[in-house]
Amino acid sequence: MNPLPDPAVQVLQVATVFVFAPGISGVIATVEARVQGRRGPRVLQPYYDLGKLYRKETLVPENASWVFLAAPLVAFVGYLSVPLLIPVLTTYGLPLGYQGDILGGGFLLTLAGFVTALAGADTGAPYAQLGSSRAMTFGALVEPTILFVVFTVAAITATDLPYHEAATVRSAAGQIVRPAHLLAAAALFMAILADTGRIPVETHASTLEFGMIDEGRTLEHSGPALALFRHASAIKQLVLYTILANVFLVPWGLSSSGRPASVALAIGTLLAKAIGIGCVVAVIDDSFAKLRLYKITEFCAAAFVLSVLAVFTLFLGGS
Amino acid sequence: MGTAPGAFAGAASTVAALVLLIEFAMLRAPMLRSQIRLYAVQSFVVSALAGIVAHDRRIGELYVLAVLSFLLKVVAVPLVVSRLLRDADTEIAGTGAFGVASEFLIAIVVAAFGFFAVGTLHISSAVLPRSALALAAAVVLVAFVLIIVRSDVISQAVGFFSLENGVSLASLVVAAGLPLILEVAFLFDLLVAVVVFGILMRVHHGRSATLSTAGLTRLRG
Repeated sequence: MNPLPDPAVQVLQVATVFVFAPGISGVIATVEARVQGRRGPRVLQPYYDLGKLYRKETLVPENASWVFLAAPLVAFVGYLSVPLLIPVLTTYGLPLGYQGDILGGGFLLTLAGFVTALAGADTGAPYAQLGSSRAMTFGALVEPTILFVVFTVAAITATDLPYHEAATVRSAAGQIVRPAHLLAAAALFMAILADTGRIPVETHASTLEFGMIDEGRTLEHSGPALALFRHASAIKQLVLYTILANVFLVPWGLSSSGRPASVALAIGTLLAKAIGIGCVVAVIDDSFAKLRLYKITEFCAAAFVLSVLAVFTLFLGGS
Repeated sequence: MGTAPGAFAGAASTVAALVLLIEFAMLRAPMLRSQIRLYAVQSFVVSALAGIVAHDRRIGELYVLAVLSFLLKVVAVPLVVSRLLRDADTEIAGTGAFGVASEFLIAIVVAAFGFFAVGTLHISSAVLPRSALALAAAVVLVAFVLIIVRSDVISQAVGFFSLENGVSLASLVVAAGLPLILEVAFLFDLLVAVVVFGILMRVHHGRSATLSTAGLTRLRG
């Protein structure tokens, strides 16, 4: 069969994330329930939830401005453009793949998070504002960790392109066991736990407003706007898992050409990796308690120590 | 920096980095038992590294050292310390002079100083990568931070013991071929320290009925 043209593969990268992101959330919810000894929701439940929300009407709080309605769209598009920049399915950079480096992807993620917080603050409702304020505070504590992970990548590959880091990891066994790589991957995993609102930072599906951080921001949204936010946060989760798996932990199984068969295989392995990470997250969710709000700084400090040590060990001969 | 180290060098430095990470974890250990357990795990990692070096570099004596340090530091010391303090209350959370996150930041700065100070000495070793020695120096300095900022006897004693772990790590790097008798002598030094610290901890707990050393600053007539 003829190889797919590069733009088609690029569209497929975005489409894969768009279509399967809620499914990954569904798998995590199911695994989490099974570990607790419950039957849990269907794997497809997030899709049904989204469908239900899209059919409902949007209610806007009295004092809200246009930001309230624009934010879901901006956040959704922001998260969905990150897959253009990272190795989702291919080992080689696609036409738009070098438009932004890791920092570029980070900016997109941050923009989407910022807009979501802005929408929460715009409502004037206390819980949404609480969520916005907390999300920005703890986001600022996680940010240094992400920066030092980027420094590590930059020092290892002399670029800050995710494709190069993945290629470096694939190149030799010594690259995998070197402390810089392992520490950076561990730090990134902890940052992802914090960013996706998982235990030990936040109870994911909690309905208690006082414990909410990320979830709190969208409390005032309803209908299609809420559906967009829900879908966007699932996309963010899958994007972050993809970065962890395809750039750091297991950058194997990616397609090195545009042949339909190998691209299809890459989609399958991507989902398998994401589900694997999801299972780990689900087990962590079930085996630890949520940290008290003021103890979250300790979690962030631990992640920061890992990422700083990763940069340290790169000096003195690189091992 | 772009070239990868060999698999052995990479793995060895990772294990050394693990020792430093456990030292950081001691800064926030909330319970008497978790502090002792952290020390046992750290000692286990150091013993394991000795075993790995012995295997890879074919130094037979290091096997003996690995086994001895395992028996002493992973089994005996934690057992003795927890026996001595079996009637003490177990909570030691919040004995730090600062918040945990601030202590981590201080420890990072201090560790960075040790790391790069040793790095500039250009001491190279035949058995372990250079960064392992720098990590060992960082372990020693973070152990000092632990002893200084936490005001409970158990953290201070474990801080001292883990300082010895950092020194063992350093001795693995620079003197893996050291005569066995010297290494064993160091281990027995540790044993003496454990006995002395154990008695001190016990006396302190017996007199003040607490593990905290905060009361020691008051003058007594």
